[in-house]
Amino acid sequence: MKEFRHVITDPDGIHARPAGLLVKEAAKYPCSVIMEKDGKAVDAKRIFGVMSLAAKQGQEVIIRCEGEQEEEAAASLERFMKENL
Amino acid sequence: MNIRDLLSVNSIELKGKAATKTEAIEQMVQLMAKRGNIKDVKEYERGVFAREKEGTTGIGEGIAIPHCKSAAVSAPGLAAMILPEGVEYDSLDGQPVKLIFLIAAPDTRANIHLDVLSRLSVLLMDESFTENLKKARTPEEFLQVIDEAEAACAPKEKKIGTLGRIVAVTGCPTGIAHTYMAAEALEKAGSRLGIQIRVETRGSGGVKNVLTEDEIATADGVIIASDTKVPMDRFEGKRLIDCNVAEGISKPEKLIGKIMDGSAEIYHGEKPKTQRSYTHLMSGVSHMLPFVIGGGILTALAFLIDTLMGYSAIGGGAFGSCTPVSAFLKYVGGLSMGLMVPVLSGYIAYSIADRPGLAVGFLGGLLASNGNARFADYDWGDLGGFQKFVADFAFGSPSGGTTVSGFLGGILVGFLAGFIVLGLKKLCAKLPDSLEGIKPTLIYPVVGMFLVALLMCFVFNPLIGLINTGLSAMLTALAGAGLITLLGAILGAMMAIDMGGPINKAAYVFGTGMLATASELMAAGADASDPTVQACYIAMASIMVGGMVPPVGIAIACQFFPKKFTVAERGSRISNLIMGCSFITEGAIPFAASDPAHVIPATMVGAGIAGGLSAFFGCTLMAPHGGIFVFATVGNPLLYIISWLAGSAVTAVMLGFFKKDAVREE
Repeated sequence: MKEFRHVITDPDGIHARPAGLLVKEAAKYPCSVIMEKDGKAVDAKRIFGVMSLAAKQGQEVIIRCEGEQEEEAAASLERFMKENL
Repeated sequence: MNIRDLLSVNSIELKGKAATKTEAIEQMVQLMAKRGNIKDVKEYERGVFAREKEGTTGIGEGIAIPHCKSAAVSAPGLAAMILPEGVEYDSLDGQPVKLIFLIAAPDTRANIHLDVLSRLSVLLMDESFTENLKKARTPEEFLQVIDEAEAACAPKEKKIGTLGRIVAVTGCPTGIAHTYMAAEALEKAGSRLGIQIRVETRGSGGVKNVLTEDEIATADGVIIASDTKVPMDRFEGKRLIDCNVAEGISKPEKLIGKIMDGSAEIYHGEKPKTQRSYTHLMSGVSHMLPFVIGGGILTALAFLIDTLMGYSAIGGGAFGSCTPVSAFLKYVGGLSMGLMVPVLSGYIAYSIADRPGLAVGFLGGLLASNGNARFADYDWGDLGGFQKFVADFAFGSPSGGTTVSGFLGGILVGFLAGFIVLGLKKLCAKLPDSLEGIKPTLIYPVVGMFLVALLMCFVFNPLIGLINTGLSAMLTALAGAGLITLLGAILGAMMAIDMGGPINKAAYVFGTGMLATASELMAAGADASDPTVQACYIAMASIMVGGMVPPVGIAIACQFFPKKFTVAERGSRISNLIMGCSFITEGAIPFAASDPAHVIPATMVGAGIAGGLSAFFGCTLMAPHGGIFVFATVGNPLLYIISWLAGSAVTAVMLGFFKKDAVREE
């Protein structure tokens, strides 16, 4: 399993647009991608899961990738989070 | 905020039809406009399209959530549309959109649209929810589906918030009843609130149901409802409430609530310790209060009677005792006030070391308030060696034997006595059980009292005597240099620092000394209007006004800044007013003792200003006490009253600014 943490810097938090892009990015990989905030975990491949976390600026989320290509998935998602959120 | 509340029947369209995405969005905006929360529809529509340009809101699974945060929106709202035939929406997953929610959010920093988006997402995660929405035949049914889905979510969330585990410890030094009553009250309240509570009891019968490490580790927090010491190290890093056993019995729900809503502080060893010392202090202060009020008011009555009998101008030093009735009242009042400091010290020590502390604390307080005076005048004849050392050091110096350390000394000796007895308890813990009975009846009182008396008579009282002597020298120097206004300010301030301790006493004795000087000067032929004689009376006037400021200033502060005081403190404001008017500075002591760092600076500055003003205006006073009852004899009475009120106002305002809000004790 690969996991990383990210503190949201976007002043609008994870709003619909980047959430959609994040889901798209996560969907590229066969491994499972879980996103967690304050102990609540959701499937990061489903848009409503990601948005239901309502992650805001300054809050920390944890992303866990497990399964085939987990290394690549974690690396690419981490890059995506840093650039967009 | 509920999704249901953001929608309204007329902002829902169940049979929408749109050829293009643009058309769909235009229709959505019109739907939203029907809700009446859009001030400028055109402006809002521009915003929605602008947002759409940044990236599609067709977020997949056949759903689109266009949204816009705009100044054109007056209140958050939702519009919803079902398009049975779907519309090409440029979605992230390329699928046509069949369900659209449009969010309108006012342009605030709170980012309400994110919360709405989040709540909506929670509902939409469940695919059966979207299916049910699409099956709805009327807007009412559509709303009902949302209602049911939200209702199904809500209790789940609530459960996460309130269901929990708490560990508690109850204990009481005197018996077992309270310990078990508190344990039962906590357990019952817990089961009412759905919280599992494990209670460890520490009655006099020993410790039962000791908490395991596991139980502590998995608990959401710790409630200590105990009047005895509880081993605390094991609770490091947990949310913790430390209160007395009575609170565990009377308000268990409140305690549990504090843990569960996270308002209880996390225990880190240090903090509760300082809170404990505050508890000890308050134990002393609360027991002292009735003595101050009772004695103070009786003394004030004595002054009143003498005033009515016409002695205010001629009573002089005997004012307050000029008639048998007033003399009786003043005597009784004086005795009651004399118990003030011993009770303060005694109950501080009691709070620290339980019952054995009380007697030792009382004695220490008595030594603080009486000083070593009892031995001062005794003529031992010629002494040598150790005897001479004792006589010279503890009783020999002119002021050493008579100095009292007042309430500040009383607080000190209270803690001292408490810790001496605690130390004795530790030392005696190893004694065989057969000696158990003589510990509280012989060892603690005898050894404790001896130690506390030794420290008071040979260390603290002589030290305080030095302070007193030094201050007297300073005052004489100031008077000699003719700095009357400064002298007045310093005298006033000195009255309001320790209120009966060495500083206050130095000022007051200096004032009465000045009165004696004035009468000597006049006996030697000086006129009453002679500047030297006047200076003596000015000093006395500053002293009295300084002593009248603290209680009145505090009474005013109680009136205007009620939040800063406890219920009991506020209740004593009338008596404080009376005591202030009667020059009974002691009324301020309970306040100063419970929060010295904030109260003493305020009373000191206020009294200093009053004393300085009084001297500046040249107000004179020929009586050594009496308060407003001797105002008739004051020179420049009007300006004197102004000085007094000005100083009191300064004290009140400073209290309002610096004092922290009192802990609520409903």
